[in-house]
Amino acid sequence: MFKRLRSLFRVLTRRREFEDGMSEELRFHIEQYADELVRSGMSPEKAARLARVELGSLTNIKGDCREAFGVHLFDEFRRELSYAARLLRKTPGFTATALLTLAVCFGANLTIFAVIDSVLLRPLPFPEPGRLTTIFNTYPKAGVDRDGASLTNYYERRGHLPAFASLSIYYYGTEIIGEPGSTEREPTMRVSPDFFLTLGLGPAIGRTFTEEETTSETDHVAILSDAFWRQRYNADPNVIGRLVRVNSVPRTVIGVLPPTFRFLSSDARVFLPIASRPENRLPSRRHAGGNVIQMIARLRSDATLAQAQSQLDAQNAALEVDDPQAKMIADAGFRSLVVPLHADHVAAIRPTLLLLEAGVLVLLLVGTVNLVNLLLIRASGRVKELAVRQALGASQGYIVSETLVETTLLTLVGGLLGLGVGAGGIRLLDALGYDRLPLGGRIAFDVRLALVALLAAIVIGLVLAAPIAWFNLRRHLGNALQSESRGETSGRTGQILRQSFIVAQIALAFVLLAGAGLLGLSLQRVMAVSPGFQSDHILTGQILLPWADYPDGTARLKFVESLMDKIGHLPGVLTAGVVDNVPFSGKSGKSAATVKGRILRPGQSARGHYSYGVGGDYFRAMGFSLRAGRFLTADDSRRAERVCVVDEDFARYYWPSASAIGQQLWEGSEAGKDAEVFTVVGVVGGVKQAGLTEDEAQGAIYYPYAFRFNDSVFVAVRTSLPPESLESALQKVVRQIDADVPVDGLQSMETRIADSLVARRSPALLAGLFSGIALLLTAVGTYGVLSYAVSQRRREIGVRVALGAQPSRIRSQFLSLSLRLLAAGTLLGLIGAWQAGRAMRTVLFHVPPLDLPILAAAACVTGVVCLAACLLPSQRAARISPMEALTEA
Amino acid sequence: MSKTAELLPGTLDMLILKAVSLKPLHGYGVLVRIRQISGDALEIPQGSLYPALYRLEHHDLIAAEWGQSENNRRAKYYTLTAAGRRRLRDETAGWNRLATAIAAALNTTSEEV
Repeated sequence: MFKRLRSLFRVLTRRREFEDGMSEELRFHIEQYADELVRSGMSPEKAARLARVELGSLTNIKGDCREAFGVHLFDEFRRELSYAARLLRKTPGFTATALLTLAVCFGANLTIFAVIDSVLLRPLPFPEPGRLTTIFNTYPKAGVDRDGASLTNYYERRGHLPAFASLSIYYYGTEIIGEPGSTEREPTMRVSPDFFLTLGLGPAIGRTFTEEETTSETDHVAILSDAFWRQRYNADPNVIGRLVRVNSVPRTVIGVLPPTFRFLSSDARVFLPIASRPENRLPSRRHAGGNVIQMIARLRSDATLAQAQSQLDAQNAALEVDDPQAKMIADAGFRSLVVPLHADHVAAIRPTLLLLEAGVLVLLLVGTVNLVNLLLIRASGRVKELAVRQALGASQGYIVSETLVETTLLTLVGGLLGLGVGAGGIRLLDALGYDRLPLGGRIAFDVRLALVALLAAIVIGLVLAAPIAWFNLRRHLGNALQSESRGETSGRTGQILRQSFIVAQIALAFVLLAGAGLLGLSLQRVMAVSPGFQSDHILTGQILLPWADYPDGTARLKFVESLMDKIGHLPGVLTAGVVDNVPFSGKSGKSAATVKGRILRPGQSARGHYSYGVGGDYFRAMGFSLRAGRFLTADDSRRAERVCVVDEDFARYYWPSASAIGQQLWEGSEAGKDAEVFTVVGVVGGVKQAGLTEDEAQGAIYYPYAFRFNDSVFVAVRTSLPPESLESALQKVVRQIDADVPVDGLQSMETRIADSLVARRSPALLAGLFSGIALLLTAVGTYGVLSYAVSQRRREIGVRVALGAQPSRIRSQFLSLSLRLLAAGTLLGLIGAWQAGRAMRTVLFHVPPLDLPILAAAACVTGVVCLAACLLPSQRAARISPMEALTEA
Repeated sequence: MSKTAELLPGTLDMLILKAVSLKPLHGYGVLVRIRQISGDALEIPQGSLYPALYRLEHHDLIAAEWGQSENNRRAKYYTLTAAGRRRLRDETAGWNRLATAIAAALNTTSEEV
C-alpha cells in the first residue's frame, strides 16, 4: 500500500516527465511496429497507418495508463477545481458575500474554540492528568462553601487514604526576592515535599524538597521556575547551591523546574517548602483551613473518585469521634469533597464558556443557512445548464462531485480568511482580559487550531454541498428543460426550501439577540449593585511586609502609622487607611467569630464572616456609610481596650431586634477569655468582598489593625485627583519608609470592580457582537431570497400590471410574504429563546430566563431589520414595467 | 479460421511477467516476445498492453528504466522485480494446477466414471 502511494506521489510530483515518457513510449511502439511491417513488404505510408490503427486510440490508452497509477483522480479534481474557481470568479458579488460570511463565522468560532480548547479541553500538562484531584473542606450550613484544607488535614490524610497514590498541599503567595536594593515582588508557591511527586513532574535540575525541610529552622531552600532561572541566573547550569534572598532571608537553590511546568493558572516563579510547627498540626487545628492551603491528590490507577470519597468520609467520621468541636462541625454541615482538579479549577467559568460556544455555533448555523440559500439561488439559475449537461451524458456522480468541489473550495478559502479573523479575535480576547481567566494564559493561536479550522471548513463544505447536490439532481430532466424554456416561475420546491431557510435564520438570529439581551440586562443589574462603599476616587495598592523585618503587631503598626502620616501629607489626598484584605482583591476567605451570650440552637451553626484588620482612616477612605455608633480610628489600635465594628448584615443576623452597639464577640470559633473580648462600637454598611454578584449577606467584622494582620497590607487612598495620578507618589512614600518593600497591584477601586466583571462583561459584549453579525447575515439572506423571488416573477408581475394591477398591491403582496416569514421565524425564535434562557439560568443575575421586555425588544429589532431588507426588493417589484418585463425574455 | 487463440482474462499480466523475466524488454519487445514464445499462437491486443505494463509497474512487480534500443533509439525497458518474480512463480504454479485439472477433467472417458 505504502509503496503504491509512493509511486503515485512520484508520478504526481514529476507529472511532465510521466506524460512525456508515456508519449515517447507509444511513439516508439508505433515506429517499431511500422518498421516491422515495412520489412515484411508493406509501403511505409500504409505501415504507419496500420501501426496506428492496431494500437488504437492514443487518448484512451493514455487514460488507461494514468488510471493504472491513480493519477486520473487528480486530473479530474484539478479540472473541477479550475471550473469551480472560474464559476466563482464569474459571480464576484456572490463569492465576496459568501467568503465574508464564512470568514466572519469561522473567525468567531475559532476564537471561541481557542478559549474552550485551552481552558476546558486541553489536559493539564502533567502525566495522566485525569487522575489529579483536589480535596477541600466545606461547611455549607455555616455559609462557607469552600475552605481548602488545613495542615492537620494534610498530616492526617497523607498515606492514610489508600485510594490516593500521593497527596500534597500548596498555597499561593508573593514574596520579596532579591538582594537589598534590587528586590522585586514575585509570585511564589509554598508546597509540601510531595507536591511535585503528586503532579508527576519535578525539577529538571536538582531535587525536590524533603521531609526534613518542613520546619522554619530548616526550610531555607528554594526551587526556581525555568523563567526565573533564565532571567535572574542566566540559565546557569551550576545554579544548585547558589543563594536566593527571599524576604531578606538567604535560601539555597536546590532545583530548577522544566520550562513546561505550569501549575493551573499560577505564574509562581519561586517554590518554597511549607514550614510548620508541630502545634499547627494538632487535631484542634483541623478546621483552621481558612481557604488558604489547598490540597491536591493523585488517584491510584485502580481507584475511582467514588472510592476516594468514601474513604475520605469514613476517615472524617472516625476523626470526629473524639473532636471536642464535633457537634459544631457537624451542625455546619462539614464534609470534605474530592473533585477532579482540572474541572474544579475551571468550574466557575465553564457555563459562561459553553454558552459562548453555543452562541457562536448558532452564528455559524446562521451563516451556513445563509450560504445554502445563496447557493440555492445560484443553482436555480443554472438548472437549465445542468439539465443540458446531464442530457449530454454528465453522470450524477459527476454533478455531485462538481458541487462538492465548488462548496469545499468556497469554505476552504473562507476558512483561510477565517484564520485571519480568528487571530484578530484572540487579540480582542486579550483586550477583554481573557488571559486572566483560569488557564486563560494558555489561549493561543496554534497549529492545533489551524487544523481544526481546516477540518471544519471541509466538513462545512460537504454539508453545504448536500442540499445543493440534492437540488441539482432532484429535477426530471425533461421538466427542467421544458419549464425553463417556457420561462415559468422557479420550482416550487426550491422556493419552499429557500423560504424555510429564511424562517430558520430569523429564528436563530432572534435567539442570539434575546440571549445577548439577557446577558446585557444581567450585566446592567450587576453593575447597579452597590459594593457597599463609594468606589470612585480610591487608589489601592498592596504592600508585602516580610515577617523577618516586621515580626509582630507593634512593628507592623509602626510601619502603618508612619505610612499614614506620610500619605496624609501628599497633595490631593483626602484620607487614607489600611486593611489586611481589600474588597475585590480576589481573596475572600472567611473566619469564624463567637458572639458572647449566643447559644446555638440545634441545627444552627457558627458562621464564617469576612474579617478585616483596619488602620488609619479606612472607613472614610473607602466611603463606608455609618449606620450606628462610630467608625474605628487610628487610636483604637493603640489602646488596650478592644473594640470592633460590624456591618449591618452581621448586626441583623445576630441581633435582629436589638442594637449591636455594646455587644461583645471573640475572634475565632470559641469563646475566649474576658480580656480578649471585642466590644462593638459601630455598625457600617454591608460590603461585597468576592464580587458584586455575591447575593448572600455574609456579614463582616472590622478589628483594629493591631489585633488582626497578615503578611500583606492593602492601602486605600481617597483623593480628589484621578486615582492613577497618585501611583508614583505612593510608591515613593513607601520606599522612603523601607527601600526593600515595593508596592504593587496599584489599581483604582473602580478598576478592581471592573476587573471582577470580566467574566460577565465580555460574554455580554461577544454575544452582542455575534447577534449583530447574525442579524446582518439574516438581512442579507432575506434580501437575497426576496430579490430572487421578484426577479423570477418579473414576467408574471409584468402581465398583472399590464392587466391593471396596482403597484401598491404588488408591493404589499411581497411585503406580506416577508411578514409571514418574519412571523414564523419570530415564533420559532421565541421557543428557542425560552430554551436558551433556561440553559443560561446559571449565568444570569436577577434576570428571569423569559424576560418580556427583552423578547419584545429582540422581536422589534429583528422585525425592523428584516422588513428593511424586504422593502427594497418589494419596491422593485412594484416598479416593474410591463413593457420591459414582457419583451425581455 | 485464425490459428491464434483468444487470451483468457487475467493471463495477460502473467504473460508479461514471463516475457520480461527472460530478459529486459521494451513495450514492443514484450509484444514480440509473447508472440514468439507462444509459437505465434497468442495475439495480444496492442491497446491493452501499455495499461497492463503501467499497472504492473505501479504495483512494483516490474521496474522501468530508459535505455537504448537495438536501433539506437531511446526506449523504456522493463525488468522483473523481486516481487514480480515471486508473483510469476505463484501464478505459474497456480496455472499449472488449473491446466492439469482441466485437462484431466476433459480427458475423462466414460469407462473411468
